[in-house]
Amino acid sequence: MNRPPIIAFFPEASFGAALNCVAIAQALALRGAVPVFVCHPGFTGVFAEYGFKEIHLPQLGQATNPADYWQAFISQHLPHFDLSPLGQLPVYVSPTWDAIVKTAIAAEDGLAKILAQIGPDIIVLDNVIMFPAIARAGCPWVRVISCAETELPDPAVPPYVSGLQVLDPKIMAFEKAYVVATGQAHSRNTAFRLTRGLPSLPPGQFMEPSPDLNLLLSPTAVRYARANPLDQAKFVYLEGCIRTEAQFDMPVLPNNDGPLVYVSFGSLGAIDTVLMTRMIRVFASITARFIVNVGGFSESYRNVPDNVFVGSWFPQPSVVAQSDLFIHHGGNNSFCEALFFGVPSLIIPYCWDGHDNAMRAEQCGVGRRLGRTDWSDATLRDVICAMLADTAMRQKLAANAAGMQAVPGNKVAAAAILALLD
Amino acid sequence: MQTRDQTTKAHSSLAKQILNAARARQLLSGDHLPEQVFATLCGVSRTPLRSAFKLLENIGLLAHRKGDGYFLIVDTGSDTAAQEHLLDAFSGSLADTILADRAARRLDDMPSVSFLIRRYGATRSAVLNALTILQQDGIIDRVPGQSWSFRPILDTPDAVADSHHFRLILEPAAILSPGFTLDLPKARQLRLNIQDALLGRISNAAFHKQDTDFHSLIALGSANRFARDTLLAHHRLRRITQKDLSTPEFRLRQAHDEHLTILDSLERRQFDVAADQMTLHLRLSRNQRPDAANRGSPPMARRNR
Repeated sequence: MNRPPIIAFFPEASFGAALNCVAIAQALALRGAVPVFVCHPGFTGVFAEYGFKEIHLPQLGQATNPADYWQAFISQHLPHFDLSPLGQLPVYVSPTWDAIVKTAIAAEDGLAKILAQIGPDIIVLDNVIMFPAIARAGCPWVRVISCAETELPDPAVPPYVSGLQVLDPKIMAFEKAYVVATGQAHSRNTAFRLTRGLPSLPPGQFMEPSPDLNLLLSPTAVRYARANPLDQAKFVYLEGCIRTEAQFDMPVLPNNDGPLVYVSFGSLGAIDTVLMTRMIRVFASITARFIVNVGGFSESYRNVPDNVFVGSWFPQPSVVAQSDLFIHHGGNNSFCEALFFGVPSLIIPYCWDGHDNAMRAEQCGVGRRLGRTDWSDATLRDVICAMLADTAMRQKLAANAAGMQAVPGNKVAAAAILALLD
Repeated sequence: MQTRDQTTKAHSSLAKQILNAARARQLLSGDHLPEQVFATLCGVSRTPLRSAFKLLENIGLLAHRKGDGYFLIVDTGSDTAAQEHLLDAFSGSLADTILADRAARRLDDMPSVSFLIRRYGATRSAVLNALTILQQDGIIDRVPGQSWSFRPILDTPDAVADSHHFRLILEPAAILSPGFTLDLPKARQLRLNIQDALLGRISNAAFHKQDTDFHSLIALGSANRFARDTLLAHHRLRRITQKDLSTPEFRLRQAHDEHLTILDSLERRQFDVAADQMTLHLRLSRNQRPDAANRGSPPMARRNR
């Protein structure tokens, strides 16, 4: 090939997948490849700010006024985040899968046209559902599993989004309920796949492994011992996938004493301003500095304490690297960034893979789990103080971080992707 | 004659020079800072040097030992940004501190004078003076009683979008107004600062300062007094209230390249080209990050304005 290889990225419309792909694209660009992002219209400019070309899918459906959309979303789903993983299946997971399938079907034709326009040498898909246009694009494709490892089933791995441990007696009941909850979406997706020449998938599954390459964002410290080991030629584990960001200069707070705690529940978690306000009130009583990501809801906060700084967006890798504790929702990118920089995680899960990572963090001794509703001011304060004083956990995490940083996941991913062209 | 504010700024600037010189020599906690050596290095006499040493002592970076002089009590290589932030915070005026606290959402919409006196440990006249400065800048209004009422500032995504739209209207127009004059010595210095920044890694805080310096320089050049004053007040608001923005480094570098290109055009007196380049620069600088996006919640573009 006389020209640089073109690598088309198609991340799911979530920040976790998008920024995970940015990290891999940065490593690919350093190796001379040309990454191009196929992105949802709502992500316009996100990839360009990192220096990558964007091609936008057409707007799917009618644009909604953001304020109206969020008010409806909050009214409908915020109470669901307080439910157990099993309780969330019919009310949150089921309609979410319906929406994902609907979006995938609607995006298909536009995606096929865009891929023909780009003419990629390789396609990288970081999503939870397969797009037939990718399988039919005539080039190798890479599946990135940037959710928890549970996304790839195995008898020795707990069910996806269950928050359960291996051998938990509740596993069978959860699996049955998951198949029921996703049944309608699965049927619709199966019918769609068949019309586009792809075979049906087992119940509850929406995406197959790539026949070419699969990248699992699952560091050694939290990895499962699988009953059916994965083919190392086609499944590559990544020890974190950290993008290069601008340095974040920590603001000097009016009360600037103590260790640094970073708090972010992702863009979705930021909608719960009531919970965040309650937490900030507790932070005021702790001798530490708190950097709090409140997303697009900063106007909801008043009388912010002198040891707390709220902002709508932070270059997370740079902030996590400077932190002593990271309080988050268990999104896999956040969890892996905490591990990569040796920072303990206090996970307060909302939904999806957050449940799995919260359980796994506690099980592997790299963090603690706290339910959204089962804490008082005193218990939250105690668990934060205990984690800040837990030198044994910090030492364990520091040793693990050194191992992860020796083999940066985005560089490993870039090498594996380009090897497909050999 | 220098005002008190100008004197404080001069001491602060000298204090930064001292810190940079100490960093260049990789001095560590406990190392002595000889007065004559640093006076020569900074090109100043001992009197202003001592004032700057005193400022660094006040913010906890130096210690004074009677008869021996000043000693570092921090490693200059560590936490460089925090040291400079501390210096900025200390040497900033009370008006700036109040504005920064307002932007950080620490103050009510209508703070009382007695609350501000208690919060900042300042005298009543100092607080009233600071509030008067903020009133002149259109940031706060006096209301009946002992209270003052803040006007909207750049503390919400919608306010930031409004600011961007306002600048898009006025900044190119400021360049195009007849009689625009670029302050060439300041432009040269700014160019050197930007070129220097582009040599290394760029932090958001450092970029923001140079960015507001650049746009303030453009405002100053406008011959239209209303455009100039309005833009200068707005950039001051941006400088104090938006200093913790986070943009990927690629875009920061790209934006600095655009700053240099605009300076090129202005120096060639191609004002129409510079105005168009300013429009493009501002459009590219608009933060287009979705308000929120996650699984099950489709991303949404910001409202078209």
